[in-house]
Amino acid sequence: MSDKAILFDATRCIACRGCQVSCKQWNETDEVIPTEENGVRSSNRGTYENPPDVSPQTWLTVKFIEKAEGDDVRWLFGRRSCMHCTEAACVEVCPSGALYHHEYGFVAYDKEKCTGCGYCSQYCPFNIPRLDAGRLTGVGKMDKCTLCTTPGLDRLSAGHEPACVKTCPTNALVFGDRDELLSRGRDKVDSLRAANPARPSATLYGENELGGLHVLYVLEDLPEAYGLPGEPEFPATVTLQKQVLNPLARIVWPLVAGGLALNALIAWARHRTQREAE
Amino acid sequence: MELVERYTPRARWFHWLIAVVFIELVLSGLLIFLPWLTVGMVGTWIRIIHRIGAVILIAAPLMMTLFSWRRSWEFTREAFIWGKEDLEWLKAAPGYYFGGDPRLMPPQGYINTGMKMYRLAIILGGAVFIITGFIMWFLKGIVPPVVFQWSLAAHDVAFIVAIGMFLLHFQLGVFHPRMDESILSMVDGKVSGVYAKSHHGKWYDEVKNAKEDSEPAPS
Repeated sequence: MSDKAILFDATRCIACRGCQVSCKQWNETDEVIPTEENGVRSSNRGTYENPPDVSPQTWLTVKFIEKAEGDDVRWLFGRRSCMHCTEAACVEVCPSGALYHHEYGFVAYDKEKCTGCGYCSQYCPFNIPRLDAGRLTGVGKMDKCTLCTTPGLDRLSAGHEPACVKTCPTNALVFGDRDELLSRGRDKVDSLRAANPARPSATLYGENELGGLHVLYVLEDLPEAYGLPGEPEFPATVTLQKQVLNPLARIVWPLVAGGLALNALIAWARHRTQREAE
Repeated sequence: MELVERYTPRARWFHWLIAVVFIELVLSGLLIFLPWLTVGMVGTWIRIIHRIGAVILIAAPLMMTLFSWRRSWEFTREAFIWGKEDLEWLKAAPGYYFGGDPRLMPPQGYINTGMKMYRLAIILGGAVFIITGFIMWFLKGIVPPVVFQWSLAAHDVAFIVAIGMFLLHFQLGVFHPRMDESILSMVDGKVSGVYAKSHHGKWYDEVKNAKEDSEPAPS
């Protein structure tokens, strides 16, 4: 089956945060809002971003980036959520198979299977998976964007697009076949560059990063300006563990066991002949 | 038949407690290390029993140090005292352990060079397990992810080595014809005089001399 993807066109985003709200509404991930007498407890962090980070309850946030250009301020609006990598470190390190590749190519999640180890949160190049696990017991479950395929809340298999895409009023978010969205993204980036030759930094992000992401970004600036890693890296430690240490163990242990068995056999045989000689 | 006490009851209880907890940790660790082994079996409970095992495996030696501090100090010190006799052991060991003439092996003390290396590996490997385990348990999300990642890799390396060492320990204790009193001595604490003399000649002489001064045997 051909891969599906979300295309986020940052130049169309008006930062209404409708996607954030519909994500919570559909996936039933209410945030606990701290209250005080006659209101909610709030603080000014010097940004319109709210909440400040993804969390087990917030799988998607809109980023507000103010960029000073001379006397002017330019707004860049970003989208922070799971990027659904093809070479997904989280899938590789997940010991329980809770994280896996969906037939559409993105990273789906079976929460039932999650053991709360949090490896995914420590290997993700985009720092997305979140879990509230007890520090002492380690009991807890991870949460992240499932691209609206959570069992019981599966929009995709019902033929719908993800909730964030459905609600986007400016079509900054589009869902569809990845190949089709790629060519659409390329066209958009080309026209952005043509329209503004002075600023040639418009980028299509996600075409080849980590084997190809299933969330593609049309950016009017370099990825770094949006707080994205320019060249996201698959952690070398995953390769070390899965391609070196794991196979090594499967070779070394039988070799040691076999060597020791051989040693015992030889020693027994010589021991016996020595006894018979005595 | 002459019997020599080699392990006190406390040492034996300690050994078997460590043995049971070690195997529990190996099995629960294996399920996390080789997930393909156990598709569908891995649950949160594995991580919990791994942590319980870790606490016991750390607490037991600490208690031992508290209650038998003099012996524990000796246990550690012995592993670090090396001399030219150890070189002789290394030269004689291959022939000896492959069933060659036992007379070619020079007399050994309470522990031989192989046991020294084993203790060193336990001390070093234990430190790696404890430090990296502590980081992964308590400092996840506090230290940078790359520290967590390398802790897990180091934990894996120590795990691979530890299982190899366990197999060696098990073979020598249970299957090796030359160590025929090894496993029993860890059950009832005693070895025969013949065994003590042939395997730990220098220690046997010390025990003999001490006995003449009517002192208890070192344990």
